Amino acid sequence: MAAVPMTKVALAMGTGRGTGTPSVHDHAAMGHAAMVGDIVPAPGGPDALEAVTAPPPPLPHAPGRLREYTLAAVDRDIEVAPGVTFPAWTYNGTVPGPVIRATEDDLLRVNFFNGGAHPHTIHFHGIHPANMDGVFEIVEPGRSYTYEFPARPYGMHLYHCHSTPLKKHIHKGLYGAFIIDPPEPRKPAQELVMVMNGFDTDGDGENNFYTVNGLTFFFAKYPIKVSRSKTVRIYLANLTEFDLVNSFHLHGEFFRYYPTGSSDAFEYTDTVMLCQGQRGIIEIDFHNVGRFMFHAHQSEFTELGWMGFFEVVD
Amino acid sequence: MTTQSMPAKPDSGLRRSLLAFLPLVLLVGIVSAFLATGGSLVGLIGTNPPQPDVFDIRRVEFERGQIRIKVTNPQTDDLRIASVTVDDAIVPFSVDGPETLKRLRSSTILVNYDWVEDDPISVGVTSSTGIETTQEIAAAVETPTASPRSVLGYGIIGFLVGIVPVALGLAWLPSLRRASKDWLAAFMALTGGLLTFLGAEALTEALELQQTLPSPLGGTGLVLLGLAASYLGLVLLSRRFSARGGGGSGTVLGGLSLATLVAVGIGIHNLGEGLAIGSSFAFGELTLGTFLIVGFMIHNVTEGIGIAAPAAERSAIPIARLAALAVIAGGPAIVGAWIGGFLASDLLGVLFFAGAAGAAFQVVIEVGRYVARRAPGGLASPYVIGGFVAGLATMYATGLLAG
Repeated sequence: MAAVPMTKVALAMGTGRGTGTPSVHDHAAMGHAAMVGDIVPAPGGPDALEAVTAPPPPLPHAPGRLREYTLAAVDRDIEVAPGVTFPAWTYNGTVPGPVIRATEDDLLRVNFFNGGAHPHTIHFHGIHPANMDGVFEIVEPGRSYTYEFPARPYGMHLYHCHSTPLKKHIHKGLYGAFIIDPPEPRKPAQELVMVMNGFDTDGDGENNFYTVNGLTFFFAKYPIKVSRSKTVRIYLANLTEFDLVNSFHLHGEFFRYYPTGSSDAFEYTDTVMLCQGQRGIIEIDFHNVGRFMFHAHQSEFTELGWMGFFEVVD
Repeated sequence: MTTQSMPAKPDSGLRRSLLAFLPLVLLVGIVSAFLATGGSLVGLIGTNPPQPDVFDIRRVEFERGQIRIKVTNPQTDDLRIASVTVDDAIVPFSVDGPETLKRLRSSTILVNYDWVEDDPISVGVTSSTGIETTQEIAAAVETPTASPRSVLGYGIIGFLVGIVPVALGLAWLPSLRRASKDWLAAFMALTGGLLTFLGAEALTEALELQQTLPSPLGGTGLVLLGLAASYLGLVLLSRRFSARGGGGSGTVLGGLSLATLVAVGIGIHNLGEGLAIGSSFAFGELTLGTFLIVGFMIHNVTEGIGIAAPAAERSAIPIARLAALAVIAGGPAIVGAWIGGFLASDLLGVLFFAGAAGAAFQVVIEVGRYVARRAPGGLASPYVIGGFVAGLATMYATGLLAG
């Protein structure tokens, strides 16, 4: 993989970008790994992923406090790559759906209304009573259901529809991140949510596009600005359908990876691999400033949209 | 017929022409009315599945650092080029032409890409509805552009597989002259056999190729059109030959006239053959090997014999006429190689192959009439039957060489 951005593509496409990033090969690697600037095929404006990437702030531990969310299933055409629409099934109109966040021992209440054309549910990962599991209590179109249970255990979790056919209901987009904060607050950090997913836009059982948070190459076009003096915390989940695993790889840096975020045990690494439904918390303390790439370490996923940059400043 | 019932009025001609146009005017009216309200008819029937949104990838060209993909919209609804992949990777692209294609309109997608020589490669074009059309290319090779060198190269290929073998076959003419009537009939039948083989081959090729065309353009109708046009064209030509030869209509062609007709038929076939070779090389589907050229040469020597057989009954034929026959039969291979190498249109390919089939079948019939009239024992003679089967077998056997 080319670590130095190539300016060849940008210049050839007439954008005139890339000054200051010397080209090391003259005609090699006109690759996507090196796509920067306006030519990056990412849909949406710079703020398009704000809602699903920035989690709500954590609240201090207060057992029994009510945390209430309202989720509606909505059928909606979403743009996943520039000019490519996908007839999605969404929670609240986005794929992934909104981030649900609570502190351990909060009473979580999620009011669910099915505004879609098919029966749906919300199935949360975590510990809860059987009738709050979103498997047997199918919510028909136009109907509502209220999920209510104490939030536990702390960690990075997820929620998704559990109606059958399961594969269809998940790959259509009914999923999102579910964060439970520990009683002892985590140290302050710049927090991000990243849900890895794919879109099978032509219905052949294979993904045509891979993304984090739903838009191809979004963070390549709009690099995430972070500070070297502040820890970056990523709540990472894999909800990719059809493929066995997805992964997260960071360039030029190592990070602490807490599987499921449910204990203090971590691995110090630069690459993690997650099965569908697996998730964890990544904490990065950047040593260097500059532009660092992150992507799935499956080249195919990288080149089909799952790639971005951190822009590290002092 | 009496003339009294219809007194000639000055405006009767005009009125009659207007009357002839009436059905057309009515048709336009009804079609407009249907188009204006057509949607409600679909509503009555109740089914209207979505369009497949599949592109037709017509041509993929490679040049150093760039891939060009020509796409056509084969459906009635508009189709928008939204995303392009090469080997399952999204690539930046620009479009020469409209990004949103109306029915049967084409655009060329330009992708800057460092492709690997001789490796298989696939390109994909995704519509705005997310449907991806992919095309596999067996081996990425630089697409020839019309430079003096490549024009010469295709010219030499066409010359080697077209003119040279036909000329070699014609060199059997003196030997054929010494043959008995029975053996001459056998060689005429051999001509018939090999032309039948070529016709069947070309027809299959045309029918296969039309399936790759977008459905509104393709269809067996196009094959039929090419077949009929060339068949009937040769019927006209043979009529003209026989008229010039002094015979009335229905006269059986013989000698040089028949040899010329055979040469024209084989020439049309060689146009298609040159086209196939040229485009195969252009798309990297055939290895440009000496073996292949040699195979085609041996295959086509038999075509020369086919022309020599009817010419054998005439004693003295000027060498210039013989050279002309070789050029008529073999020259089109050069033109075909140029068209195939530089233009490579599947539409033209279908028409050429269908035309080749039509020409071959017409000449077979002409040869058949000649043999039936002149050969001792007619069409049922063992020499004729043996010759015909030998013609088919020779073509089959030498065809193996050409792969």
